[in-house]
Amino acid sequence: MSTRLRTVLISGVRHAADYLRILADDDRVHLVGLIEEVGAPDWIRADSRAVAEAAGLHYSEVDDAAALASSLSGVDLAVVCSEPVRHARLAEATLGAGVDVLVDKPVATTLGDADRVLAAAQSNGCMCAVMNRTLAPATQRLRSWVGAGHVGLPRHLDLEFFASGAHFSTSVERPELVVDPALSGGGEILNFLGYSVDLAYAATGLDVVEVHAFADALFLEPHRLNTVEDTAVISLLLERDVTVSITLGRVPYAPGGTATTSSARLLGSHGHAIVSDDEPAVTRFGAQGATTLADDAGQVAARAYLHDVVTSVLGRTSPQYDITDARRTAVVIDAVYRAVRTGDVVRIS
Amino acid sequence: MAAHSGEVGIAVVGTGSFAEEHLRAFAQIPETRVRWVIGHNLDRARAVATLAPGARVAASLEEALRDPEVVAVDVVTATPTHAALTIQAGQSGRHVHVEKPAALSLADLDAMIDATEGAGQSLLVGQTVRFQPAVSALGAASRGGEIGTPRLAHITWYTGHAWPGGWRAWQLDPTQSGGHPVHNGTHIIDAATWLLDDEPVEVFARGVRTFSPAMESPDSFHIQLRTRNGSLATLELCYALRSRGDILRRLVVVGTEGTLTHSTSHEDGLHSDATTAPPPSVEGALRIQLAHWLDVIHGTARPAVTTTQVRAALATALAAQRSLISGRRERVEDVPGYTPEPQIPTRGAAS
Repeated sequence: MSTRLRTVLISGVRHAADYLRILADDDRVHLVGLIEEVGAPDWIRADSRAVAEAAGLHYSEVDDAAALASSLSGVDLAVVCSEPVRHARLAEATLGAGVDVLVDKPVATTLGDADRVLAAAQSNGCMCAVMNRTLAPATQRLRSWVGAGHVGLPRHLDLEFFASGAHFSTSVERPELVVDPALSGGGEILNFLGYSVDLAYAATGLDVVEVHAFADALFLEPHRLNTVEDTAVISLLLERDVTVSITLGRVPYAPGGTATTSSARLLGSHGHAIVSDDEPAVTRFGAQGATTLADDAGQVAARAYLHDVVTSVLGRTSPQYDITDARRTAVVIDAVYRAVRTGDVVRIS
Repeated sequence: MAAHSGEVGIAVVGTGSFAEEHLRAFAQIPETRVRWVIGHNLDRARAVATLAPGARVAASLEEALRDPEVVAVDVVTATPTHAALTIQAGQSGRHVHVEKPAALSLADLDAMIDATEGAGQSLLVGQTVRFQPAVSALGAASRGGEIGTPRLAHITWYTGHAWPGGWRAWQLDPTQSGGHPVHNGTHIIDAATWLLDDEPVEVFARGVRTFSPAMESPDSFHIQLRTRNGSLATLELCYALRSRGDILRRLVVVGTEGTLTHSTSHEDGLHSDATTAPPPSVEGALRIQLAHWLDVIHGTARPAVTTTQVRAALATALAAQRSLISGRRERVEDVPGYTPEPQIPTRGAAS
């Protein structure tokens, strides 16, 4: 392996600018290019090219998966930033080429695809990292507090995750990447639920055994037009009869100081705990009223995780979150969509 | 409704700790006079009646109802007795205030309504949450259109442990309390119904026992629901925080044009080694609630908590208890006695 991690992006339509900015700040990383598929729609190719040019990266296109594999010669890490429905196929091709990969979330849009990515990582002996928020300070703080025994045994979690629809046109490169099932694979359950499921696992170490969910397009016209949910309320039963409620959505105005806001309340056998991504924060008062000054927890978590992934590739160790974790979460997301469709609880074997 | 002018003579039925709270609240409300305290244990009734100087005690409501100065009856007893006492008071022409949950079945509630409102008197159910200052303000904003149409509610309602009576407590027995979603869940179910201005039609509930695995009623639970117009809610309730007197109240209401929040975690606290004062967002709610009842009796206000809303909340709570047992999603319309109430939405009505 080279001294610096030779890194390419595969597609650049989703979160690529954010990840490039973070990776470019890491002296251990050498960004060598951005690869797109020639068969992708014109607008995707144009968007990927624009991202590459803005970052000063070489842009190239490949005909198919075989060509993609051969184009990765000499590459240490590939970062998949396509629309979600291509994640699994591009990850499989990369792993098949024997190259470590970092996939944007969700790792796959179906459970079957997630299984294939996991199998590809295992059979090729490569690292498959998946973007997540488990290194957000609030999540780490909660995990440490539980780990220290301050609340006894966790019994229940009340989780909330909101994104502001007011920022939809700026926080998402193109809204259709989230709402058009042909690109996104689903709605905000697929887009966001993984964060809460990961948090529940981080705090308890327990698997989900049953789910129930209500979901609908309550607020936003793009979701309604594409018949995908913008909001969901979800109940999880974990092992050992621990319970979790999740309230999530892309709502007109999220109740936080940044584009996304997340909080958790944990009831334990011997105490309770509260954490929030919105804190610490400073409030500024001015002509526009009160403004909250706080770090964007999603950005903080992304920076921490990308650092961890680079460290892992260079040191041939495992990242703190990988395809095994992402596959565990994909099982829950799959079950939640089935619960929404059937209007009943769904057991996870 | 027959209004009453001047001082209101009241018979308080019940001698438990919450009846004492009612008597303390009445003492702060002008134009009220508690004339009777009713309880089976007269020694206990006499002790409680010291909070209302001049009040007499009796073992049955019947004796107090022979007093023509008694205009209104406040029922602060265990839930199974609510219906009979309310009906008895209503049939004697008295206004009635009854603690929540009003009844253990829709049939009982309907009979209570018939005996009171149906005869021209008032029936106010003690949904104290509505009168907590922060909830009241949040409701006024939500129902006043400040966030467009409310579509999503997330209510977290955690309380320091409160299980008086040990294993003898009637509250632990679902046949007497209705189960925890009915006994305490009506607080948050009513709040959600009111804030979303809509009637729940489907619910799912899950419980947790943090105190003891042998509890028949879980001390904590969450309910998720969908309303007739498709709004959603997560309602969390816990009566098992480690420190007695501890409170965590958090409300989020998301509308089409804005979001409202309130959390007690943002409020300054009054603490000492001996006690903790309720946060200002909660304090004084019972006095405000009972003062409102007096206004209703005087004919100067319409009930802020309508019996139509109470019926919707009780039906939802009963459905949640069914869900807790079945482990499945339950339809509110499957609750015995359920009938849809098209007049539930009351945007702009008294709040």
